[in-house]
Amino acid sequence: SYSAGIMLLDILVTLIVGTVIYYYFLSRKKEETLPFKEGWWGKGQKPDTEEDATIRPFKVETTEEELSDLFRRLDQARFTEPLENSCFQYGINSVYLRKVVSYWKNQFNWKKQVEVLNKYPHFKTKIQGIDIHFVHVKPPRLPEGQSAKPLLMVHGWPGSFFEFYKIIPLLTDPASHGLSNEHVFEVICPSIPGYGFSEAPHKKDFNSVSAASVFYELMLRLGFSEFYAQGGDWGWLICTNLAQIAPNNMKGLHLNLASVSRIGFSHVLSVLLGRYLPGLFGFQDEDVKRMYPFLEKGVYRILRESGYAHIQATKPDTVGCGLNDSPVGLAGYILEKFSTWTDPEFCNLEDGGLEKKFTLDDLLTNIMIYWVSGCIVSSVRFYKENLQKGIGTQKHDKLTVQVPTGIASFPNEIMHTPQAWARKKFPNMVSFHYMPRGGHFAALEEPELLAEDILQFVGKVEKQQLWKKK
Amino acid sequence: TILHLPRSFEFSQKKGILVPAAALGVGGMLVCWLMSRRKIKTLEMGDGWWGAGEKKLKEDERIRPFRIETSDKEIQDLHRRLDQARYAPPLEGAAFHYGFNSDYLQKVVAYWRNQFDWRKQVEILNKYPHFQTTIEGIDIHFIHVKPPHIPPGQTVYPLLMVHGWPGSFYEFYKIIPLLTEPAQHGLGEDVVFEVICPSIPGYGFSEAPHQKGFDTIAAARIFHKLMKRLGFKEYYLQGGDWGSQITTNMAQMLPQSVKGLHLNVIFITPRSLGRLLSVMIGAYVPWLVGFTREDVRRMYPFVEKNFNFILRESGYFHIQATKPDTAGCGLNDSPVGLAAYILEKFSTWTNSSSVQKDDGGLESKYSLDDLLTNVMIYWVTSSIVSSVRFYKENFVHLNILERYGIHVPTAIAAFPEEVTHIPRTWAKESIKNIVSYTYMPRGGHFAAFEEPRLLAQDIRQFVRKVEQL
Repeated sequence: SYSAGIMLLDILVTLIVGTVIYYYFLSRKKEETLPFKEGWWGKGQKPDTEEDATIRPFKVETTEEELSDLFRRLDQARFTEPLENSCFQYGINSVYLRKVVSYWKNQFNWKKQVEVLNKYPHFKTKIQGIDIHFVHVKPPRLPEGQSAKPLLMVHGWPGSFFEFYKIIPLLTDPASHGLSNEHVFEVICPSIPGYGFSEAPHKKDFNSVSAASVFYELMLRLGFSEFYAQGGDWGWLICTNLAQIAPNNMKGLHLNLASVSRIGFSHVLSVLLGRYLPGLFGFQDEDVKRMYPFLEKGVYRILRESGYAHIQATKPDTVGCGLNDSPVGLAGYILEKFSTWTDPEFCNLEDGGLEKKFTLDDLLTNIMIYWVSGCIVSSVRFYKENLQKGIGTQKHDKLTVQVPTGIASFPNEIMHTPQAWARKKFPNMVSFHYMPRGGHFAALEEPELLAEDILQFVGKVEKQQLWKKK
Repeated sequence: TILHLPRSFEFSQKKGILVPAAALGVGGMLVCWLMSRRKIKTLEMGDGWWGAGEKKLKEDERIRPFRIETSDKEIQDLHRRLDQARYAPPLEGAAFHYGFNSDYLQKVVAYWRNQFDWRKQVEILNKYPHFQTTIEGIDIHFIHVKPPHIPPGQTVYPLLMVHGWPGSFYEFYKIIPLLTEPAQHGLGEDVVFEVICPSIPGYGFSEAPHQKGFDTIAAARIFHKLMKRLGFKEYYLQGGDWGSQITTNMAQMLPQSVKGLHLNVIFITPRSLGRLLSVMIGAYVPWLVGFTREDVRRMYPFVEKNFNFILRESGYFHIQATKPDTAGCGLNDSPVGLAAYILEKFSTWTNSSSVQKDDGGLESKYSLDDLLTNVMIYWVTSSIVSSVRFYKENFVHLNILERYGIHVPTAIAAFPEEVTHIPRTWAKESIKNIVSYTYMPRGGHFAAFEEPRLLAQDIRQFVRKVEQL
């Protein structure tokens, strides 16, 4: 019996040591960097010649032909009457859409909007075989002894670089907008390849890591060895991947969306018990308020709102086909998101509450970017390239982010990620704030709130850096 | 002996005890039998009003003949839209993996613009008699095809056939002659039908409901009213896709009117743990859980065929069940977009390996004329939005098969390329009277359209069994 006891102890010790080593190993693995993804996305074969690395100035242009084609399509639009009293419960309401189309045809001035778009300097440069478009805005004036901090801001779907047009001046010229000029930025807003004026990849498999690699090359080409990054929607994932690829180049990562893609037993447990024992799972009061009732807010809401992601992740070319051919269909498809993702209650309003937070000019300018560039199909392909193997299965899903991170959590975001969960993925969390109002399209809807949060985040990071230097 | 025992009683006492006891016994058995008959829960019929505004007091019950028409204006408008179509080039090597390949789509559109003759197709559509009649406030369209010659003494069975999405009444045009004049097509003349093919409200030439809540139960009730209005008391039903759900509801609602139900698709919700276990066990010892060899061949690898495949193919279902007006908006405005959206289903649901082909294998089983005629029905009636709303209206009723079961004689034609395979052993849990279950040798989701002869033969052998011919 003595030897049996020894054997048992032996097994137990092996098990414990084994588990410790396993977890140690696993957590070590999590600090791995994500490899830079090489690629060539141009048409056909990659040529032997060196790629043209010049940065060319670019201007958004329009033609009479483009406008008359658009108007012809708006005139011939075929609408289907909504069901009685359905508001936005079945999706876009065609009675309201008719009003938007009438404004689009009669009052919206695309030529004027193109001038608005061109007020910031645009550029294009070829990276990995495709033309990358971006806006680069430098501060008009700098306080003594200060240098502009480079800030990469990445949009998502169905947004564009245009979403940042209101927040850019608050970051490049804070003093003129009543904000502290302790930190002044030069802002770079690229278009994700396949979106807006960036060329669409011609090859399969262009995912968020590809986009992050392309934007990494862009920042290096612009001469920045250290920069900040900010993102929401796809931008959050691309900037996160960038932080995982190049942690030494990224000074700080600011996100207005952070989602958890790998759900474990601990997550399930915390959902079941978190309402009653929030402290045990690190849930703050605001977390509980935003997450529960979980069945409604976490499950049903996601199911109701994710149809578009499901079809885009499986049959992007099918769903995009009609949208690229009908501007009214495109507008209906995109506007629905600007309604429901800004406030879930908006689906009970006849006009979807669209003009409560946005102007029709801004909404239509964003839609026109998709229309004139013909990019809706390539934009929705991004969903397939990122999700086709399943959610949470990619290498970057398993890695954490070591770069100092700041999260601005907006109350009307589609799904709330509690602070405790975010900290697991972003262990170097410098700030996490529950914003008082605002939804998914934070930069366009609440530019001041977002700018303030970015500024305070950068302030903290810079202080930390100074401390470390000392 | 025991036989002597009753004689030991006084005769009058015997009468006093045995007779009431016997009466009680027989009475009890009668009550039990009556109660067991009523135990078949029928689906409540209810009532509805789908017209615009307030319900009208009196409904016009006339059955009005109807003809499909077109105009130069309609055709010119279509051509203009086809000419101005904007395409996005497919990714290199994508085939149909990303959805409908736009290079092949351009070829289809070129045919549509230059060779497809809509006026000729309208004549083909009008070769069967069409009608419209108002039920519950909306115009219901249907075709009613009677056999051209009925031999004396021949019974003609009424058969209601219901289409689905993205199909239409047109899917039945090839199978109708095999059912109404079988002798002309090499089939026995013992079983002859008169066929009624309605358009589901919101589809084709049936008016779309104006109120929320129009589900398969409402459609089922309306079709019962239609058959009653046409003078039928008992009839056969056939359906696939939504047609399967609607005809199932019809059998659950009014079993006494349904002589037999023939389905080429069954909707079973993947509920129980028991089913999951039988899938796992069935992989190794199929006979233990009632799976045949053909079941195994069609169901496994289970995760790939039933989980991954369904996930990959159900994006349309998800968006239509949540935001139908958004999904349909562009499709109603761009015929090219509509064609891509609809034809993608005719590709993948006919053969799952078609995604690997640059042309989606579309023309291997269908002619472009047939495919485009079906698309045109959605286009000229502007019915795509109302058709996809049906998915949202039915989201809550998915387990209705299990709740009420089906008690009328039922036949299941299991086609090999159908989106999902349901083995007989699972079907019989809810379908109590399976008269025939056939493993069809070939064919997919659009059975009537793709394999009319196979389907017709299966319907006929089913009816023969029910009628005991």
